[in-house]
Amino acid sequence: MMKLRGIALILAALLVAPCAQAADSALYEAAKKEGSVVWYTSLIVNQAVRPLVEAFEKKYPGVTVKYARADSGPNAIKVIDEARAGKVMGDVFDGIATAPPLLKAGLVAPFTPSDAGKYPLEMRDPEARWNALVVYFLTPGINTQLVGKDEIKTAHDLLNPKWKGKIAWSTDPWSGCAVYVGSILQTMGEDKGMAFLRALAKQDIINVDATNRAILDQVILGQYPVALSIFNHHAEISAQKGAPAAWLKVEPISAPFHSIGLVKNAPHPNAGKLLIDFLLSEEGQKTFASVGYLPAMPSVPAKVAGLKPEAGGFKANFISPAVMSANIDRWIKIKQDLFQ
Amino acid sequence: MQRARSRNVASARAAHDPTRILVAVLVLILLLLVVPPLWFLLQGSLHTTTVTGGLGDFTLAYYRRLLADRQFFGSLANSLTFSLGATMIALCFGGLVAWLVERTNAPLKAFAYLTAIISLGTPFVLYVIAWLFLLGRVGPLNEFIVFLGLPRFNVYSMSGMILVEGFLWSPLAFLLLSSVFQQANAEYEEAARMSGAGIFQTVTRISMRLAMPAFAAVALLMIVRSIEAFEVPALIGLPGKVKVLTTDIYLDMTQNVPPDLGYSSAFSLVLLVLAGGLIWLYSRISRQASRYHSVTGRGFRSRLFDLGRARYLGGGLILLNFFLILAAPALGLLWLALMPFSQGFSARGLRLVTLENFRTVFHSTVYVDLVWQTLLMSAGAATCIMAITVLCGWLAVRRRPGGWLLDQLATAPLIFPGIVLGVAMIQIYLAVPFALYGTLWAFVIAFTIRYLPYGMRYSAAGVLQIHPELEEAASVAGSPLATVLRRITVPLATPALLAGWLFIFLIAARDLSLAVILASPSVQPVSAAMFDLWANGQGTELAAFGLVWTAIMTVIAAAFYLVGRRTVASAVRA
Repeated sequence: MMKLRGIALILAALLVAPCAQAADSALYEAAKKEGSVVWYTSLIVNQAVRPLVEAFEKKYPGVTVKYARADSGPNAIKVIDEARAGKVMGDVFDGIATAPPLLKAGLVAPFTPSDAGKYPLEMRDPEARWNALVVYFLTPGINTQLVGKDEIKTAHDLLNPKWKGKIAWSTDPWSGCAVYVGSILQTMGEDKGMAFLRALAKQDIINVDATNRAILDQVILGQYPVALSIFNHHAEISAQKGAPAAWLKVEPISAPFHSIGLVKNAPHPNAGKLLIDFLLSEEGQKTFASVGYLPAMPSVPAKVAGLKPEAGGFKANFISPAVMSANIDRWIKIKQDLFQ
Repeated sequence: MQRARSRNVASARAAHDPTRILVAVLVLILLLLVVPPLWFLLQGSLHTTTVTGGLGDFTLAYYRRLLADRQFFGSLANSLTFSLGATMIALCFGGLVAWLVERTNAPLKAFAYLTAIISLGTPFVLYVIAWLFLLGRVGPLNEFIVFLGLPRFNVYSMSGMILVEGFLWSPLAFLLLSSVFQQANAEYEEAARMSGAGIFQTVTRISMRLAMPAFAAVALLMIVRSIEAFEVPALIGLPGKVKVLTTDIYLDMTQNVPPDLGYSSAFSLVLLVLAGGLIWLYSRISRQASRYHSVTGRGFRSRLFDLGRARYLGGGLILLNFFLILAAPALGLLWLALMPFSQGFSARGLRLVTLENFRTVFHSTVYVDLVWQTLLMSAGAATCIMAITVLCGWLAVRRRPGGWLLDQLATAPLIFPGIVLGVAMIQIYLAVPFALYGTLWAFVIAFTIRYLPYGMRYSAAGVLQIHPELEEAASVAGSPLATVLRRITVPLATPALLAGWLFIFLIAARDLSLAVILASPSVQPVSAAMFDLWANGQGTELAAFGLVWTAIMTVIAAAFYLVGRRTVASAVRA
């Protein structure tokens, strides 16, 4: 009986495999006819976008990737503006907070990538409109020449008067200030959380209108000794180049999803699908890992294992697009009231 | 009876005047350029915004919110303080250097011109980033201040903003004021000196007083331009928690999804009224300035002040200006461009020197596209503007019917701050039935509107130099108007037109406030890309790209200087 089931499984696999291959090559042929794909991304260009585009174009010659980088919010605005102007130009969008407003405006096309099954359910939309691409862990970052690694061990150490006016954070709500506010409230509870935030506001946190990556660069430069909430893998990438940067395992560590999806009425739908399919495949995820990013596919390990909670020994506070969507306005309001 | 007949003759002549159709067409073009942005702003500020970004119900809520918003008045006050402070610095610094160069025998004058020319072609955003590096917490200038035993300077503050904005405008203040000093007649000064006045007394009681109206006009121009400024408020003000009107508009447009068009439109209209009021004041002052003309028909010559030994101090100041405005930022950028990651000057950094950033810039097709697109859109706008304004300028200067209206219409866009025009244009592009959004044309049209007044001044100045008798001679000889313009007017006005073209090209190519709102993935000007690179944390690559771009623009700026030396003065003040 077992043997029979085994044979049946092998047969099924043999039948399915060519099908998947066929679908893939059909998609590739259709994409080649379209020639190019326009990707609105919020990934950092020199760290991730360039190597990913290179890998994609090498695997699929004849399909070129045109990318434009912006933060999540502006990316969503672009897609909405284009739909309004009746001139859709973007095919693929990604970002921490690009999906929610686009879902609300009905501007996302469903697409199930071939490796969707390799992602846990909470990392993809039940209606196949988005899928987690990479994961992020937002931690404090320091300049190691200005701050000792043991000087800040818990969030309450940040309230030490010696840090007054020396801590910076990003005004980008979805990867910076508002997400930090949310994580504090979620992990400490409403009352304790608000008390902590009020005390933190007295530290004169510096608002910087730039990405976490740019803020970390300012930290490396010595402009600010401490960044409150940066992506831990960025600090690792810079440290490997010899920069005086380090991330701290100081909880709460927010973990927003960076998701990817297909724009509705995209001008190059097949090339768009091909790109999404590639980025979410094992090969694409391995490319992310090779440049120091943290793949969302659980079976692909990170280059530095300690950056993820399991191997790094820290607790992460995952924030799904749904939770983000439901709470972000309130978190922004709290940030504006206390820290403006 | 006779009067009636002459009126009849005049109207009969007007009916046959070939310029009437031309005037009508030009008025139509200018109305199409100037009116829609105003209309869309007004509409946007009076209607709610829907989830998809369209116009919703009628409302006065945005204006109510604006008046109830304490932050609005804070931003307004900040805008005024910022622009007044920056103007003071630019005028003092630029004015001093201009006086030294034009009216004294101080040495090293070439350095002052070199500084001004290169800075004309450099995007402000690049300058700001360089100065942030130099004046930052661990920047070399701050280290020097601390070394002198003084407290560290926090550049992320109102005083930091004023200082950097003042530096940004000082080359233009220099160019404008040096032309004022050039035109000043030395006779009065000589008379003063012969009557026994010293250098100081002569300068304060004669030179300064004669230059006062011109000073006031330049000051007002700088105030308006600083109120509209975006680079310094965004890169220095926001981290320092100093908000001004332009950054408030920018944040409303980019931080909310969908963007808060209504509120930013209402905000924009307030800024527009403010700028419009100041421009009106400016035009009144510059009109009066003509009463102070000291160059007369009689032999005009200008004699330089002999500063004696103080001339070396003067030379030192010119050199300091060169160092602060040009050499130091350029060195800072070069250092950053050679580093693998942003870091201050250090011996340790020397070991890390790499050409990787330059390699990326030269090998990336993205950068090549950026450069081409920017050159194309700036050249396109400059060409459109000069084509329109040479006709308008001719009609206005020759006082043809409708000429006055054309002059007013072409000058009107001066009231549009870049960011405000950006907010208006994006609404227009999203609403028109044909595809403009995301094309080069979107930029060409927007830049044409924004820089039309500059073209008008250059064209008018060019036509003014040509005596009408040359055109009349051709007309009498039977040439139709088109031939007269093509064969006589345009060729003779060419230096002024070319100078205008190059000037518009240069300022359009470095525009950020308008570009940052209109930039789309398919078309992005260099300055907006630089702003993105900075926000992105690619500071070292940005420095490398910035240096390459500045080199290209310096060549064009040098051409501008050589062609337009004489016409710069009158036109830049437009």
